[in-house]
Amino acid sequence: MDPKHLIIFTCNWHAYQNMEMAGASKQGYDVRVLPIRLACLGRISVGIILKAFEQGALGVLLLGCPPGTCQYESGYAHAEKVVEQTRKFLHLLGYSQKRLRLGSANLETDQSFTETVELFLKELDHLALGPENAAAMSASS
Amino acid sequence: MKSLDTIIQQNEVLYCLTCGKCSSVCPITRWEDQVYTSPRLLVEKAIAGDQDAIFEDPLFWSCLSCRQCTQLCPSQVDFCGFIREMRALARSEGLRGTGTHGDIVQTWAHMMAAEDLSQDRLGWLEDSHEVSPKSDIIYFSGCLPYYEALFQDMGLEALSIARSAVNIMNQAGLVPHVMPNECCCGHDQLWQGDTRTFGQLARKNLALFEATGATQIVTTCPECAHTLKYDYPRHGVEHGLNILHMSELLAELVAHDRIAFRPATISEKVTYQDPCRLARHMGIWKEPRDILAATGFELVEMQRNKTQALCCGTSCWTACGRVNKQIQTERLMQAKATGAEMLVTGCIKCQIHLKCAQKDRMLQDDINIEIRDMTTLVAEQIGFKDSRGPGSE
Repeated sequence: MDPKHLIIFTCNWHAYQNMEMAGASKQGYDVRVLPIRLACLGRISVGIILKAFEQGALGVLLLGCPPGTCQYESGYAHAEKVVEQTRKFLHLLGYSQKRLRLGSANLETDQSFTETVELFLKELDHLALGPENAAAMSASS
Repeated sequence: MKSLDTIIQQNEVLYCLTCGKCSSVCPITRWEDQVYTSPRLLVEKAIAGDQDAIFEDPLFWSCLSCRQCTQLCPSQVDFCGFIREMRALARSEGLRGTGTHGDIVQTWAHMMAAEDLSQDRLGWLEDSHEVSPKSDIIYFSGCLPYYEALFQDMGLEALSIARSAVNIMNQAGLVPHVMPNECCCGHDQLWQGDTRTFGQLARKNLALFEATGATQIVTTCPECAHTLKYDYPRHGVEHGLNILHMSELLAELVAHDRIAFRPATISEKVTYQDPCRLARHMGIWKEPRDILAATGFELVEMQRNKTQALCCGTSCWTACGRVNKQIQTERLMQAKATGAEMLVTGCIKCQIHLKCAQKDRMLQDDINIEIRDMTTLVAEQIGFKDSRGPGSE
């Protein structure tokens, strides 16, 4: 895997549909994004997230339905617990905990997927390259 | 990669008399009631040269490498060695066993093997702990910080073992070195057949050991002790260090009166679970009993004990299911039958597996016995109380 990928685990509902909408309305987003669709964020586990980092992911983003609107009620709450536990492992392994983020995309605002992704990638570049290099990179792109 | 013929030859598999003694003690043979499988059958398949049949056998990945069969074999067939090397062969052909807990343990071991990793694993140290990088003695905490995070909801004694070990050593006048970037010893990778990751971890640890100038290592995990002592040299990682399990160090400290126990206020009955690596693989079963006697507890033995002890039911995170749960339940029932109030063990894995088996609500009254680690128990008996407590971080 390219070491610079941002892995996004999306739920099948708000998050995935929001990504589809971004595609349909021809909104561009970074080529480093590698989305993986899950039925729900309730499917995620510590092992899966760690595996992404083991294989060299720059960051991992979990995108679900907005809090309180999970299609299966408890998926988002489960993901919150998983993220908290995974961060403990990232900390022990000396990885920045900022490389893992949990967020949501809202179907009603069609910009939210691309905005969330671009914002997170910018922060990841800051982490990986330092602020000056990241600024130079975004200026050249 | 060794071929089937070489593996058969080196582990003396051809000497099998097909007497079936191994089948009579193998816990998997006893509880795997859907398919008949036994070490003897696996050996028979090996001698017939049927490699694929070995890889498909249910015992192949579920073998606990508990060494009961090897110990009893009249022909000294090293079945554990055979399984270990055959798994490496299977792995080279792209096969592998089931990974439990979402493969987390394997994943963190792979991540630790990376060259440029800088871990942050010493958060468990207290200000009151005396440690020194120039020390002659290293305390190797292994994967304890990681198990604390993985089994956070189980009320595990993981990091309290590490804290207790340093407390005890300090009390005895020893100032150990704790390495900020030590790696997993690679035990589970080796026994899963992942010799590549094992080699990477071993070489990383070797470089760290050599940089310290220490002459001995103390571990609180029997698997670390066994791997560092026997498997590293066997795989060409020669460190020349003296490896001690905590129970050996404790027995020595007790024998020389270097730690003083508080007088026992109540004589509580305890029973002791011998970890396979410690009792059978390394022959250390007397020391833990001496220590428990010195702490003032009354030791009552289970039906099967010392080198005949029953395994805690799971090994190297390759298989955990119906059969494993039955072994664990049986062991807990044996512990309960002694009338002891507490089950003491010297291995974090025994603690994890037996505590996990206790989650079975249907069997609650038959298997609910307090499970403690020997190191934390000893620390408590010499007056240390772990302020953070199990599951607090």
